[in-house]
Amino acid sequence: MSRDLSPKSLLGVAGAVATAVACFLPWSLYAGFPGKMLNTGFPGGARMYVLLLALAAGAVLLLDPPGRVRGLRAASVWALVISLLTALLIGYAGGGLGNVAAGAWIAVAGSAALTASAYLLDASSDRDRRVWSLPDADWRMPAEIVITLAMAGLALYVFVVGLGIPTSNVASGPDHTFRDAISLNDVTNGSEFLAFLFGIIGLFLVAGRIGLTASLGAITQRRRPALVTGATLAAIAFPFTQDGSPYALRIAASIGVFAAAAVGLNVVVGLAGLLDLGYIAFFGVGAYFAAIYSGSTTSPIHVHLPFFLVIVLGALVAAVFGFVLGAPTLRLRGDYLAIVTLGFGEIFRISVNNLDGQSGPSLTNGPNGISNIPDLGLPGGFSFGDNHHLFGVPLPFQANYFFLEIVLVAAVMVAFLRLSDSRIGRAWVAIREDELAAAATGINTTRLKLLAFGLGATLAGAAGTVDAHVVKVAAPDSFTFIESTLLLAAVILGGMGTVPGALLGASVVYLLPEQLRFLHDLRLLVFGLVLILMMRLRPEGLVPSKRRQREFRERDDKSGALDPPPGAHA
Amino acid sequence: MQLFMQQLVNGVVLGATYGLVALGYTMVYGIVQLINFAHGEIFMLGGFGALFTYTVLLPSGTPVVLALILMLLGGMAVSVTAAVIMERFAYRPLRGAPRLAPLITALGVSIFLQELVRNFYPAKSPRPFPQLIPPDYLINLGGGVTINAPKLVTVIAAVVGMVALSTFVRSSRTGRAMQATAQDPDTARLMGIDTDRIIVTAFVLGASLAAVSGLSNGLQFGTVDPRMGALTGVKAFTAAVLGGIGNISGAVLGGFLLGIVEVMATQYAPSPLSGGAWANAWGFVVLILVLVFRPNGLLGERVAARA
Repeated sequence: MSRDLSPKSLLGVAGAVATAVACFLPWSLYAGFPGKMLNTGFPGGARMYVLLLALAAGAVLLLDPPGRVRGLRAASVWALVISLLTALLIGYAGGGLGNVAAGAWIAVAGSAALTASAYLLDASSDRDRRVWSLPDADWRMPAEIVITLAMAGLALYVFVVGLGIPTSNVASGPDHTFRDAISLNDVTNGSEFLAFLFGIIGLFLVAGRIGLTASLGAITQRRRPALVTGATLAAIAFPFTQDGSPYALRIAASIGVFAAAAVGLNVVVGLAGLLDLGYIAFFGVGAYFAAIYSGSTTSPIHVHLPFFLVIVLGALVAAVFGFVLGAPTLRLRGDYLAIVTLGFGEIFRISVNNLDGQSGPSLTNGPNGISNIPDLGLPGGFSFGDNHHLFGVPLPFQANYFFLEIVLVAAVMVAFLRLSDSRIGRAWVAIREDELAAAATGINTTRLKLLAFGLGATLAGAAGTVDAHVVKVAAPDSFTFIESTLLLAAVILGGMGTVPGALLGASVVYLLPEQLRFLHDLRLLVFGLVLILMMRLRPEGLVPSKRRQREFRERDDKSGALDPPPGAHA
Repeated sequence: MQLFMQQLVNGVVLGATYGLVALGYTMVYGIVQLINFAHGEIFMLGGFGALFTYTVLLPSGTPVVLALILMLLGGMAVSVTAAVIMERFAYRPLRGAPRLAPLITALGVSIFLQELVRNFYPAKSPRPFPQLIPPDYLINLGGGVTINAPKLVTVIAAVVGMVALSTFVRSSRTGRAMQATAQDPDTARLMGIDTDRIIVTAFVLGASLAAVSGLSNGLQFGTVDPRMGALTGVKAFTAAVLGGIGNISGAVLGGFLLGIVEVMATQYAPSPLSGGAWANAWGFVVLILVLVFRPNGLLGERVAARA
């Protein structure tokens, strides 16, 4: 470890220390500002994220890891953004910059010094990042398992914190309205979440640039059983962190359904490389099947099938749709298939919209959809609609559905992993990479593509049946083109062909618009911007499969090379 | 018979709107194999640009013909600017990225542009569009079949746009550079073609035609809406695929076919599958059928010669 004691580095160290110390001082003299910004001592609110970034910056400066300067830049810039934004918003919400306490200004000055130092230092002197591993000793395996479990715990913690930050009606500053779409008040209300978001982005970038992400990824990959155990435990623990509040559980249950569908879509897009823009329709087939046979009063068919039968039958019906649509169309080139699936999705939506007994046979209750879907029950009298107490923690009934979601996601994940490791999965990957070459090696491409399409539809159908019971309604509006594209966005943002990627992508795509509600009408605008930026900064996705990542790096050399679809020049 | 002919005319008009937008999809796809989902928003921006020109920039009392020309220019300016910015900052950095990444970017751009207009263009949605040509100003095509002037202009624009674009791509120096870039970008660059400039040109041409469609759409329906690009975009892409994507004549042909099918199905499909509620579904049914029997689209065999 070389000691860099140049003035530029020392400026950075001083900045990091000043910023970190400032986080333990009060930032606001105005009591109404969201997040705990008043006390001297352990930091709350936005201060916490600035502190973490400052510590990361200081550690990077002193420990001199590979990618030192670029890592430092990420940490310092985001620390500066958060502290400056927070200081200005405190001034705004409190009605004058006089309400900004000295701590905030010290943090701004400190992180500005840090940023200056980061950009004065020469990034070209950075060593390339590498994958670290623990020394080969007896304690290596247990240590790796502990690290893996800790990662799962950390993921749960970040998720709980992100979901738990209140984003509305916190502050009560002056009532300035701007275009009546969004006011600075709203931004103030959301400032703690913004600080959280920026902090996560900053820390993620630092970890990526110094090679920490790759190293931890390698460890968790090696300790897959521990990862699975950790993730399962974290998921099961989640409802117990909510103190009986149903809000986050409802969102989490929806994320679960969304994630299950995303993993299913990952079979079609991620493994087999078939671009499916109407995937939500198969999901909708399952949802409507479950809704119609749920015994709901608004269903025209008054038959109540047991739920286990509904899951199986709903998945089968979706599979039939998948095979019927896929059989004639799967010999089409990639982008033609995309538009056919898009068309099928639209046909499905229009059909369920019209099968109301007037413009068509009575089956789906038209635009209103089938509502009042009754709660699920288990044999033995357990109803999913009941609240429970477990280990002294109140669990609202949404928790029951959340646990059902865990089972569903686990089942879909197992299906995905078993498939991707199988002969079939390798054949899919071969087709994705080069269909002609795959066919030449004796793979029956049409049959395997159909299988991928059908299996994807089956998984979606199963997820749909559960979804109908979670949201208690199946209506055409839930199955639009936008929903299909959001699912696709989840798969691609997360990283194609990996399960953690699909889960992470689903969480981001679902959670972000949910927690950005404080932006009111602007939240979709910001969401669109986030999609663009994410693809620009990390086009291979958050958790890319190793193969994808390598492929992407190779392409870096051929800057500007176009990437024609397989068979485009055939 | 008169009803049938009138519906045929209506279908052709609807198809011309799709065709004009489809040209933009097909040009961009032909060159960079990108489904530019935000192109529907470029069409929408063309309508808003024209509206802005009329309500803000033009003094009242401008002669109708002059006003229309200036509105068209205004719409084109907005569309083209948006398309160039979009290409430069959203798509160009992603050349060489995995193929699906630009698709998500396109989706993001689409949402972004829609929301940008919805939030920051004053007045409530849908915005009334000036009725410069009275809707009852009808031209008789004989046998009681009529078409009003803006619709006629749309059809003419689609056909002229198609012919001009085909000629441009086939004969001009830039057009031949486009063909070269489409066939093999690396080799094209080795031959001294500035491929970045060629790709921008494709975006610019597509955006100009979409702006024509946006203006005419406003004149026909009397309103513009930030959301109007989404469905038109999907339809136009369908039209481009129907005709054989990458093929310029195919895009307009596909547009006409799609428009006629939708109008005819609304009128003549067996009850209860007729009526406006099912029109969109019929369009997609025809698409699937055409692709089953002609997997490369109607004019798809000329893939090698695509723009």
